[in-house]
Amino acid sequence: MGGHVLRTVGQYVLVLFAAISLNFALPRLAPGDAVDYLLPPEQAGSLSPEQRRQVLAQFGLDQSVPTQFRDYLSGLARGDLLFSVRYGRPVGELLGERVGWSALLVGGSVLLSTVVGAFLGFRSAWRRGTARDAGTLTGVMLVDSLPPFFVGMLLILVFSVQLDLFPIFGALPTVDTSGLALVAEVVKRSVLPLATLTLASIGPVYLVARSALVSELQEDYVLMAEAKGLSERQVRRHAERNALLPLSTVTLIGLGSLVGGAAVVETVFSYPGLGRLIYEAVLARDYPVLQGAFLLLAVGVILANFVNDLLYPLLDPRVRRPRAAAT
Amino acid sequence: MWGQLRRWTVAVTAAAACLAVVPQATAQEARSSAERLRVAIHSYENNLTPFTLTLTTFPVTADMVMLVYDSLFYSQASPNPEPWLAESATMSDDAKVWTVTLRPGVVWHDGQPLTAEDVAFSFDYYQRQAGASGRYAHHVFDVPGLERSEVVDDRTVRFFLRDPAPQFDIMPGADLPIIPKHVWENVTEPGKATSELPVGSGPYQVVEMVSDQRYRLVANEDYFKGRPTVDEIEMPVVKDPAAAFAALRTGEVDFVTRNVPPELIGQFEETPGIQVARATKFESTQLNFNARKAPFDDPAVRKAISLGTDSQALVDTVLLGRGLPGRDGFLHPESPWAAPRGGHELDPGRAARLLDEAGYGATDPDGVRKSADGTRLELGVLVSSFEPQDLRAVQLMSQQLAPLGVKVSSEALDPVSLRQRRQAPPGQIPGFDAYLSTLEAHAHVDPDGLYYFFHSPGPKGFGGVITGWGNSRFDQLTEQAAVSGKEERKPLLHEAQEILAGEAPAIVLWYRSGEWAYRSDAYAGWVEDPGQGILGKRSFLPEYVAADGVGNEQEQAGDTGTGGADGGGGGAGTVVVVGAMAVVALVGLAIARRRRSTDLDPD
Repeated sequence: MGGHVLRTVGQYVLVLFAAISLNFALPRLAPGDAVDYLLPPEQAGSLSPEQRRQVLAQFGLDQSVPTQFRDYLSGLARGDLLFSVRYGRPVGELLGERVGWSALLVGGSVLLSTVVGAFLGFRSAWRRGTARDAGTLTGVMLVDSLPPFFVGMLLILVFSVQLDLFPIFGALPTVDTSGLALVAEVVKRSVLPLATLTLASIGPVYLVARSALVSELQEDYVLMAEAKGLSERQVRRHAERNALLPLSTVTLIGLGSLVGGAAVVETVFSYPGLGRLIYEAVLARDYPVLQGAFLLLAVGVILANFVNDLLYPLLDPRVRRPRAAAT
Repeated sequence: MWGQLRRWTVAVTAAAACLAVVPQATAQEARSSAERLRVAIHSYENNLTPFTLTLTTFPVTADMVMLVYDSLFYSQASPNPEPWLAESATMSDDAKVWTVTLRPGVVWHDGQPLTAEDVAFSFDYYQRQAGASGRYAHHVFDVPGLERSEVVDDRTVRFFLRDPAPQFDIMPGADLPIIPKHVWENVTEPGKATSELPVGSGPYQVVEMVSDQRYRLVANEDYFKGRPTVDEIEMPVVKDPAAAFAALRTGEVDFVTRNVPPELIGQFEETPGIQVARATKFESTQLNFNARKAPFDDPAVRKAISLGTDSQALVDTVLLGRGLPGRDGFLHPESPWAAPRGGHELDPGRAARLLDEAGYGATDPDGVRKSADGTRLELGVLVSSFEPQDLRAVQLMSQQLAPLGVKVSSEALDPVSLRQRRQAPPGQIPGFDAYLSTLEAHAHVDPDGLYYFFHSPGPKGFGGVITGWGNSRFDQLTEQAAVSGKEERKPLLHEAQEILAGEAPAIVLWYRSGEWAYRSDAYAGWVEDPGQGILGKRSFLPEYVAADGVGNEQEQAGDTGTGGADGGGGGAGTVVVVGAMAVVALVGLAIARRRRSTDLDPD
């Protein structure tokens, strides 16, 4: 068992290094550099090479690419993520400000979409083929096929403009508030973005939950349970516990991919999350921020996978047994 | 994906306008002062110093910077800028030495006195940090070319210039923000000095900034032009245009710094409590040729394309009429330097003759002209993917020029990629045919603007960067103009504009009019400042607010406007139809997807 964990850790370290190298290389393949972004085009074009270097030198971007890579790695080792070109601030500080908002938004919507998606999926599977199943399926697919910014705008129109229930933009109130009032404001301001992101990510969860339960219901143990005379509720509980397994994978992997996917929602609601930071960094060719943000995401996804790998045997005895036999 | 997003956004914005007919409390009397104003900005720009400007939101950021800082004169859009930090200024007979006397008793936001020391330091610092000070530095050191500055006494500073600079008061005088020496003298990397609150001398002081979320500015009560009319300005960052204008409707913000999209102006004008102010920022959108690449190195070919372009139709179709058609002499018609004559010449017949003479008499079967060696007359135009209007303009041009036998195509790129495509290694010619760009007041009111943008490639100006075009007579005229006083300068610049019209290195497609929506029930003191828009410091200073009174004259329209509800009714109908179509489409999609998903089920 210990050997297995060690090997898994080793694999993840390799994956992480590959991710770091890619994160360094990919943004640099895009045409143009930070000077093109920072200065008006005419100005950037007429700078002397000397002045151009002066601008880039502040951020260490005048060095050769191998030197930049070495600086990046040695910086990482010291926990230093360099300076953002766009914001003129340490990247670590910027990420620190954003990660909480992203955690609130993405974490919340993963949780919500898993709970609601699983509930709807199981219900559909249990009544498969009925009008209710068809109705839920169509409804969920319809919502899933709407682009998230469109859903966001519709929610704004209905709940902010027409009903005046929620504010339209921002994570923090504009007037100074503190204590409980501040918490209430933050919650209020997170409702619409959270709802949008949840609606946007519910589809896959629903489908996985539905098909997992459908296949569980064909299993012999379900037939056995029914034959034993268990109540419908008891049978359902047995089957649903097993159907939850594939959902854990979908949920954990969803965490990583949603951060990037949240960029659109964060733009519509002016929410200061990581997705928007990444989008703006791409536009600005802000390599240090891209490196830092992608590193954070890569570590997040790898960690999520790692946890999933470790958890799975605990959740599913069938995976545990052959390994236990091998050691 | 982002392009699609933008198209949707436009659609949704329009729908938002239609739906959002919230009955507002009837408009109160126009307010010329306020305790608090909320202004939706679209980008966070660090700590609002002259060193934090980025190009994406540049004009608005410059407005914000000038709320915090002051220049010697104001504003750069005026041919006779008003002395601001300066009390008076005198020019030597040869126009090479300027002596500026400062207003007494001006203090920085931190209480330190503003002295001649600070002014001399500012000019020196912009020069030292030429790269980081972005757009500001080049005015000081290219044209007119500052040699050195000298502090005479606490209130007097003297500038020595390389060449005669009779318009030193406009540029750089009315343009450069003066920065405090005691804050900046030890800063060697201004691009990284973004965590401290800025210290300026302007009417507003930044008291809070939350990265990518908001700024809070409070009035500088001791401002030398009087206590500002609004005590506190809250500036939340609202990224999405549709969301920003929805927030204006609900009253969550009182002003949006973005131009109102043409399709929303009518709606806003009919909504009680909201008004639209008009003040052009002298924006021009133009097609710039690569004048060093065949066949666009031939003035006849460029002129023919200009003659075949109907800029009035572009304004009517793309801007829904909210703008002026381009002029062949480039400069905005309201610029003090614009030639009185010289609109846009539309003459497809002459265009065809010019192309025939230029050697493009033959045509391919698809109607596209070609030269004797078989080169087809094709024009590929680079446009920014952030400007859907630009893309529409090129599509329309492609229709206008097709009968002439010129094939126009467009390529949309993100701004940095576009910029990169415009460049070429030294000594080489970039590969693009043409690109669209938008310039604001700065290009049209700078007395040396024509020099900057069209002087042939050389050590000064942008000529090589914009089009690569060059004309020795034009160079001569603009060089001479740069050292001439206002009245002698005009005829020189007028002749230079005739050369531009004849050779067409760039075709101005339109001058967009500036239209801004604000809630008059919150604050109506906005001052329409030509070339500046309305988010200028004059909008918050009592002497100008009282004199102008934008709000008052338009208020009646708002009061009598019950038409909003009618418009809303029609709008709601449209939304229902659009919604129904969307539902039908989506149900179809859902059924298709369902088939796929049920296939996965192990039946």
